[in-house]
Amino acid sequence: MRIGAFCVLLCLAGLAEQRTPAPAGGSARRGGQLVVAERSAPRSFNPVVITDNPSKTVLERINADLIHINRRTFKTEPALAASWTASRDGREYTLKLRPGLKFSDGHALTADDVVFTFQVYLDEKLAAPQRDLLVVAGKPIGVRKVDDLTIVVSLAEAYAVADRMFDGIAILPRHVLGAAYAAGTLAQQWTVATAPASIVGTGPFRVSEVVPGERVVLERNPHYWKRDGHGEALPYLDRLVLLTVPSTDAELLRFKAGELDVMSRPTAEQFESLTGGQYNTVDVGPGLEYNFLVFNLSDGAAGTPLARRQAWFGQEDFRRAMSAAIDRQAIVKLVYRGRAEPLWGPITGANAAWRNTSIPHPPRSVDRARQLLRQAGFTWRDDGTLLDRAGTQVEFNIIVSASRPERQQMATLIQSDLAEIGIRVTISPLEFGAFVDRLTRKRDFEACIHGIGSGDADPNSDVNVWLSSGNLHLWNPNAAKPPTPWEAQIDTLMRNQMSVRATGERKRMFNEVQALLAEHEPMIFLASPHILVAAKPTLGNFQPAVLPHYALWNVDELYWRAASRD
Amino acid sequence: MRRGTSPKAARVARGALLAATVLLHVVILAAPWVAPYDPAAQHRDVPFAPPTRLHFVDRVGRWHAQPFVCAIVHVPGTFFRYVEDCATTAPVRAFVRRQEPFGFTTREARHLFSADPPLDLFLFGTDEFGRDVFSRLLLGARVSLAMAIAAAGVALAIAVVTGAIAGYAGGFADTAISAGTELVLGLPWLYLLIAARAAMPLALPPPQAMAMIVILLGFLGWARPGRLVRATVAAARGREYVMAARTAGASTPRILIRHILPDVTAVVTVAGVVLVRQFVVAETTLSLFGLGVPEPVPSWGTMLAAAQRPRALTETWWLLAPVVGLIVVCMVYYALARVLRPDPLHNRP
Amino acid sequence: MRVLLGRGVRAVLLLLAVSFLTFVALAGTPGQFADELRLDPQISPATIEALRAEFALDEPVLTRYAHWLRAALHGHFGFSLTYRIPVERILWRRAANTLLLTATSLCLAWTLALAIGLAAATARRTGWDRAAGLIAAALLALPDLLIALALLTIAAHTGILPAGGMTSVGVETGSWAALRDLAAHMAIPVAVLTLSTMPTLLQHVRSALGQSMPPPLATALLARGLPRPRLIARHALKLASAPLAALGGISLGSLLSAGVLVEVLVGWPGMGSLLVEAVTARDQFVIVAATALATAALVAGNAIGDLILHAADPRVRGADAIAAPAAAQ
Repeated sequence: MRIGAFCVLLCLAGLAEQRTPAPAGGSARRGGQLVVAERSAPRSFNPVVITDNPSKTVLERINADLIHINRRTFKTEPALAASWTASRDGREYTLKLRPGLKFSDGHALTADDVVFTFQVYLDEKLAAPQRDLLVVAGKPIGVRKVDDLTIVVSLAEAYAVADRMFDGIAILPRHVLGAAYAAGTLAQQWTVATAPASIVGTGPFRVSEVVPGERVVLERNPHYWKRDGHGEALPYLDRLVLLTVPSTDAELLRFKAGELDVMSRPTAEQFESLTGGQYNTVDVGPGLEYNFLVFNLSDGAAGTPLARRQAWFGQEDFRRAMSAAIDRQAIVKLVYRGRAEPLWGPITGANAAWRNTSIPHPPRSVDRARQLLRQAGFTWRDDGTLLDRAGTQVEFNIIVSASRPERQQMATLIQSDLAEIGIRVTISPLEFGAFVDRLTRKRDFEACIHGIGSGDADPNSDVNVWLSSGNLHLWNPNAAKPPTPWEAQIDTLMRNQMSVRATGERKRMFNEVQALLAEHEPMIFLASPHILVAAKPTLGNFQPAVLPHYALWNVDELYWRAASRD
Repeated sequence: MRRGTSPKAARVARGALLAATVLLHVVILAAPWVAPYDPAAQHRDVPFAPPTRLHFVDRVGRWHAQPFVCAIVHVPGTFFRYVEDCATTAPVRAFVRRQEPFGFTTREARHLFSADPPLDLFLFGTDEFGRDVFSRLLLGARVSLAMAIAAAGVALAIAVVTGAIAGYAGGFADTAISAGTELVLGLPWLYLLIAARAAMPLALPPPQAMAMIVILLGFLGWARPGRLVRATVAAARGREYVMAARTAGASTPRILIRHILPDVTAVVTVAGVVLVRQFVVAETTLSLFGLGVPEPVPSWGTMLAAAQRPRALTETWWLLAPVVGLIVVCMVYYALARVLRPDPLHNRP
Repeated sequence: MRVLLGRGVRAVLLLLAVSFLTFVALAGTPGQFADELRLDPQISPATIEALRAEFALDEPVLTRYAHWLRAALHGHFGFSLTYRIPVERILWRRAANTLLLTATSLCLAWTLALAIGLAAATARRTGWDRAAGLIAAALLALPDLLIALALLTIAAHTGILPAGGMTSVGVETGSWAALRDLAAHMAIPVAVLTLSTMPTLLQHVRSALGQSMPPPLATALLARGLPRPRLIARHALKLASAPLAALGGISLGSLLSAGVLVEVLVGWPGMGSLLVEAVTARDQFVIVAATALATAALVAGNAIGDLILHAADPRVRGADAIAAPAAAQ
């Protein structure tokens, strides 16, 4: 109790200290700074080279895209482009830029910058991570300027969600980066050692100070294009401070100490310690992440222990039995303290538009698991050990990333679940790099618990997971041709839905994909954690979303309520 | 025992210490019997249960010689908070026999004490899976202490041999060994651990995993005590009595064992206690690289990793049991090391 | 002179060996730079390969090592794959931050250990002496991460100290306020590092002092009218200096590598957090350069330790190789 009281006092003191008063003449919402934490220091401000999430968080605050996906509605909305139209065959998009756009250094943004931007991202030599998004049907998109405010984008074939591919594509200033690009040194621009003033973007903020390893301070971009409903220029905040806080426990403590204004994605356990009225805690509900258990079905070398075990994994009844024996409710309760959704398919409750609601949600049943195993020819020894037809004891290993404690906990629960049907499971937590190596490169594992957090609600974002030729088709990736008829069926459905433009038709096709996955269970879906966010109660417009960045997606509209500002 | 305490008090203290040591190790060795539960058994309906209270007075105020426990009930809507419901009670019995899961069947097991089913006696509470912390603490002690002591033994053996050679022989041997020590201390172990894990089979059975940890820790840990031994030996070599022994024609091994080793024991015993503690804790780091003791085998390292969270400090304090265990072990070993240390005077000419 | 030269040659060879072995270890370790991209459904393997090709990551180890070595001789320690700037531009500042932390805590820990150790030795075999030993043993058992977490929790709930980081936002650099701010931020990590190293040092100090002063000698000296504290400070400490000098060398040598995990937990922007980040990202040149720097510190620390050893007790062949001919017999 007393600790709580201390905290309140401290928060108040912190608020009084940190908030700068609103500048004279500004609206009541204007002013102040927001302090948030990041797991690691941003590594670069160069959109072409950034791959890590902390850097992306900064990047998305200092840059803008042409068309943006609203993080709450999942719908596309105009950003730098005021409007866009598609040609009748769906292969050409005409985008109209807003008039009077300026970069954060005051320089005007024109169609030339847009053309330059796409030239850079599509340059094979630069290997920008965005490039893959801009390649449709194996061919890079074409971008040409019509006039200063009009751009035409052409695609090799019709693409159902072409408007979505512009999300997150930061428009680059040709007047700043053009020379470096021509000289072939673009990748070395805009590092953490670059003078902040020369890092130029179109987002709500611009870089003001970089303290290596400690923090990045962003300040309001006075040339930002967006205005609120009353015509007032956004953002409201003067500054956004991103502190490097490598440990989530430390982030919690610093949030409680009042040094941070927002705690994004606390664990359920941490979230629970923040509830109780002192903070604005928001449980957004399930996100888009789906955690699953997957067996390695890639052809193992004959005679190896892996190949012998794959004889079990390859049987659908075996996989169904595993699915029936796993206690998803226990995962939800014990791993996520109830703040998660049990899953039987990859589409979570957050994505109602695409979810196939007719997929059954059978509760855990050890009896059903036993029946399925018996059906598949397995037997039990007197001591309860499960044996296959040849009399071999059934046991397998699950790998899991050591940096994801929640997945290790799932593994521990599953280990205990499967012991009930006589299967001995061993768990190998592996360092992340070693984990990725076994999973994607060497394919040297038996089973794996992993999760994929879709970047977008549209099924196309995960197409590499479902296509049998995809590199993330985790049970059997990069197949030359689909190994099973149902995988062939999924391939066809996924390919077709990509070019069909009627949403209803796409939905029907993707429903069928989900039904096939539920029937054959190549992945045993487990649970999807809720998105949890907490902030100081005086932060206005705080509306956490299901897509990243969960708390800062609308940072341009966040403000401090007047009451807190003295 | 010359000042401050009388010889009799000292003898009593020494006896008490020995008794404590013996008791500690008997309890640890007999862990499966002393522990009331299988350390891997998950009581999924009571995660994070606080230590079960032992009652001696019932609701009408009557005293019982035999302690009893009350049922615990989860408070709905809370984050694993429980209240006692003393309408249902069960006596705690000593020397019980009961059926419990064994492998995939059941077997008859004997335990030192246990509450009558269906009620539970979690002496030190439960962890996030509802596993009995007391049972895990005892069985984890076997695993962790055995590993740490073995690893400390390996490390100290290497340290004494290399340190003695470097310190006594000097010259090229010293340069070579010192360079080797610095190499061991300088290598990026974070990295080598990942490489080491990759070189091992994926599913490492617990005994092999433990042997691996012992070897790894042993090779990681010898360098520092090795430097200390080297310095001590080098210093002792220059002392008058060693000089005298040398001029008297004593052989090198004899000088080392009779005259220099006693000096080294002081450094080694202290380093030993330090290493045992370090190695128990080091397992928490090793587990980040997939080199820890695999679940569901309990170890103090994995228990510590779970306890090192803010919530354990403020609410689920019983998860800190392995820290208390570590403190007790360190104090006992330290006291033991002091008592058992040979008085250097007796070994000197 | 010859000794110094020998030391120097050894140090250079050691640095070569460590950097080479680090390269080899890097090549043999599973996981590669840009691995997190491999699990992103929206990025194709071809893109990742192109990225790797840009850094010539797939060339043989020896070739890459030779390249690196040549650059290192000119003072360039490679290019950070993640930061895309030369490693030395990241490294120095981080190393300085770590030194600030570890040097402060090391001074404190040694002062405390020597003071308590000497005081306990003065009160030898009394209750105080034993209590100090047992408390040190108990402190020894506390994992440093737990100490850090406990102190941070207290700081967060009471607000007397900042709960992490190194500086506050908006404090003018170079001012008194900035210095005060830095001191406040240092308090917790320094306390943690001190509490975690001091018990070990104290145990060694006590054991060394106990060993150095056999009771008959002490009694004899005391009988001659030497005050006990002087006896301890003058004679015992001197006799105890051998292991303590080595310990001091080890302490100095670990200045750059101590407290990696503590740095991560309290968010101190030092070498430790940089190294952990680099290992996770497989940022090879950062790892090699950081390792080489830590090794250099280690070698220097050990050399200083040997010098102290020699200075305190000239009979010891502290700076090795002095007595090389004698050892050959």
